[in-house]
Formats: sequence, structure tokens, C-alpha cells
Amino acid sequence: MGRPASIWSGRRGLALLSIGALLLAALLQGRFDARAAPRDEVDPMLYLPSGKYLKVASLGFDEILADLIYLWSIQYYGNYEIEDRYRYLEHIYGQVVSELDPHYLDPYLVGSLIMNLEAGDPELALRLLDKGIGNNPDRWILAFEAGFLCYNDLGDYARAAAYFEQALRSPDVHPLVRRLYAEMHNRAGDKRTSLREWAEIYDTSSDEYVRQIAWKHVHDLKIDIDLADLNDAIALYRERFGACPRHLEALRREGLVDAIPLDPDDNEYRYDHRTGRATHQGGLVVGG
Amino acid sequence: MFTRIGAIALNTFREAIRNRVLYLLLIFAVCTITFAQVLSLLTVGSEEKIVKDFGLATIDVFSVLTAVLLGITLVSREIEKRTVLTLLAKPIHRAEFILGKFGGLVLTLLVNTVFMSIWLFAVLAVKQMFDPQLATAIVLLFLQFLLITAIAIFFSCVSGPILACVLTLALYVVGHLLWSLELLEARLASEGARLLCRVVYCLLPNFSNFDIKGQVVHGQAIDPAVIGFAFLYLAVYGSAVLFGACAVFQRKELQ
Repeated sequence: MGRPASIWSGRRGLALLSIGALLLAALLQGRFDARAAPRDEVDPMLYLPSGKYLKVASLGFDEILADLIYLWSIQYYGNYEIEDRYRYLEHIYGQVVSELDPHYLDPYLVGSLIMNLEAGDPELALRLLDKGIGNNPDRWILAFEAGFLCYNDLGDYARAAAYFEQALRSPDVHPLVRRLYAEMHNRAGDKRTSLREWAEIYDTSSDEYVRQIAWKHVHDLKIDIDLADLNDAIALYRERFGACPRHLEALRREGLVDAIPLDPDDNEYRYDHRTGRATHQGGLVVGG
Repeated sequence: MFTRIGAIALNTFREAIRNRVLYLLLIFAVCTITFAQVLSLLTVGSEEKIVKDFGLATIDVFSVLTAVLLGITLVSREIEKRTVLTLLAKPIHRAEFILGKFGGLVLTLLVNTVFMSIWLFAVLAVKQMFDPQLATAIVLLFLQFLLITAIAIFFSCVSGPILACVLTLALYVVGHLLWSLELLEARLASEGARLLCRVVYCLLPNFSNFDIKGQVVHGQAIDPAVIGFAFLYLAVYGSAVLFGACAVFQRKELQ
């Protein structure tokens, strides 16, 4: 005589009991979380050790740990409810992720973006990018980003030019970097270097559109430089003879210039001996 | 000799693929590699790196677990069930038994790794991120699994399964932390202590010789000497461990 069937004897009954108990546990957890007083908010950053120590604990899985912390950091910095979230920016990106995986470019790029645009600390962003450049000297994008930050946010064109020059030393660099490098010299006041760079872009680029842009810059820069040279020579002439020269040719005769330059369209520059100013008869193409 | 080793290896392989643990680990591995696709959507920047990192780490972790969990019971279970006595009553040398067991587990791991690699490459191909360079990292990882298998079999010969599992995993952890011994050596003042440090460093298995995951994922050039050294290291160190296992098993009391 067999035993009477009960819920304990059937496989299905036990499975249903198991699922039921699991659902009850989930329900209880939900209720508990809803009723419990909010826990003291302890900053999770306090428990995140430096990448050097995490590397020890990662047992060869440094890269995946860097991925996970980077993914987590994106969610963390996307949460605008955490008011002091920018306090640990340098720690997360500069000391944890970049130590775990020094060749992972995204954290340098995104970290510097958050540091500059969200936290308003461009120098911190540049420090992170400098570390990235040091770890990845053959990747142009980091030096480019640093240069663009100096140009766009700091208005420090000489520093931007230095970063763009660094980017130009990397292989497979984007052609835009060379144009920005040339333009930074112009904005920093070094028009001769800028002219040399734009002229090289004009000579070497195979892109017709780029050549047109380069020609416009060469055109304006040549006029600027010629006029500056002529006006400097006129000032010297006035210092020496007490009056402005009647013609520009007098500058060459006195050895103040090697030759009287023509503008890029092979026209002579205008000269008014009453004001002592050399000017260009046409307008500038790009503007200056 | 090779026929006998081959027969034991084939039987070990057949036995291993009937083990549910293997399938459980494979299912977890497949789920993790697939999950990496979802995780990669959370990133800002290159999704490719996340999928590749997760894929290679999954192959690494789950194959090491397979090698350890199957390797530690290979010999001890045969002794426990006394099937080893039946086997060794035949004209089979004890060393052939150990080498056959090792061969069977290597075959299992090969099938395992190939399956996970195909899955990873399929996931990458779907996302148009297929990168054949990953195969180099997987080959070196496979060499690491072979060494761990040899170590697991060695410990399986000298102790019970639980202790063998603990010792193998401990050696795996230590083998990934050897660079800290180099740091310690540089800081030690005593010449004798430095020498001791160096000896310990050289004697322990160095698993970092097989780890080129990072370089491969970042598309960096891999020095052929690194790959060559990994093969040589496995051949020498693996032989030492296997010969050690054979020697221990040779003297083991099986009654």
C-alpha cells in the first residue's frame, strides 16, 4: 500500500514551494527597504583603493577591473543627486582606472571631459591627459584633446600649439591636427611659423578643400607679415631721418628691407607718405 | 606506450564530458560572454574593448575552474573507487596512467576553450568587431590551462580533492603575484634574503608569462619571443610538474 500523495512527494509541488518562497523573500526585501530608515550615506569612494593595490588583487584581470570601474564611474558621474561627486575625480581616473589599464584611452578622454566641463577644473583635466600621453605616446587623440582644451577653454594658444605638436609626432595623426597647430601659432602671435605650416599644408595636402583653406590662410598671413615688416621699416626710417619716406622703394635703398614685397596676388602694397602707413588694397580672405 | 596513454586519455575525456560541472561552467561562460554585449552598451567610448576584455577573462576564469575542478578529482576518485587497481593490474605503467589522465583533461579543456572561443568570435562578429588577433591571447591562455591542469593532477596525487583544490588555487593566485616578489627583492638589504627571494621567484609558476590579454585587446604588437618563451616555459615547467606527479604516484600506496 503506497503512501498518500502529498505536496512533499511530488517534484512539481516542491518546485512550486521553492518558487513561492523565493517570491516571498523578494516581497519581504521590498517591504523592508521601503520601511527602513535611510542608511547613512557613506561615500563609496572612501573604500576604493589606489589602482596600484587593486592591480595586486586583480590576479591578472587588471583590464576587466578597469572596465568595470570605468563603467561604474560613468553611472556615478551621471547621477546629479550626489553633490560632492567631483571630489574624487582625480582618484578614480588618475589613480585607479589609469593605473589598472594605462592603455585604456576612453577613461582619459571621458574623465578629462568631466573634469573640465562638469567640475570646471581644466588644469585637473590636463593633468589626466598628460598622464595618458605619457602612457600612450603613440596615440595622437590624447594630445589633441589636451591641445583643444587649451585652445577652446583656456585660450592658451602657445600651450595648445605645444600639445598639437606632440600629437603630430604620433603615427596616423588626423590632418585636422596640423591645421590647428598652424592656426595656434597665428593666434599666439607667431605668424611666421603659422605661415610656414599653412604653406606646407597647402603644398602637401591632396584634399582640394583643405588646400583652399590653407591658401586663404597663407594669403592673409603673408599680407600681415609683409605689412608688419614694412611698417617696422618705416618706423626705423622715420627714427633715422626724422620723416617718413616718400616711397617704399626708399626703404630698400637704405637697406631697411631686402626687397619690397608684393602681396599674394602680385600687387603692390599701398603706401601713404603722409600717415607713414603701408596698407593692403584688397581685404583679407579669412579675416584678421 | 602512446597507445596506452591515448586509450586512458580518451577514456578520461569521455568521463569528463559526462560531468555536469563541465556543462554548468560552459553555460555560465556563454552567458557571461553574451552579457558582455549588454554591459558594453553602458560605456561611453569603445564597446569593443569591454566585449573583448570580458570574453577573454571569461575564457580564462571558466577554463581555470574546469581545469581545477576536474583535475583535482582525476586521480583521487580512481583511488577512492579502486578502479585504479583494475587498471594498473593490466600492463600499464603508473606514469602512463598519470600522463593519460593529463592528456584526457587537456583534450577536455581544448574542446571547452574552442567552444568558448567560437562563441566569443561569433558575438564579436555580430557586433562587427571580429578580431583574429584575439586567437593569439587564447592560445597563450590555453598554455596556462595546461600548466594549471598539471599542477592540479600533481596535488591530486599527493592529497585529497579538497586540499588539492585549495593548493592548486593558492598556487594560481601566487603565480599571478610573483612580480611582488621582484619588488620585495629590490627592497631587501640582505644579500642572502635577496637570493632566497630570487630562488622562490624562479621556482614558483609564473602565470604572467601566458597573459597577453591586455596587449591583444589594445592592438599592440606582440613580440614573437614572448610567445616562444610561453611555449618553452610550459614545456619545461609542465614537464617538471608532471614528472613530479608521476614520481609521487609511483610510490603511492594504493591498497
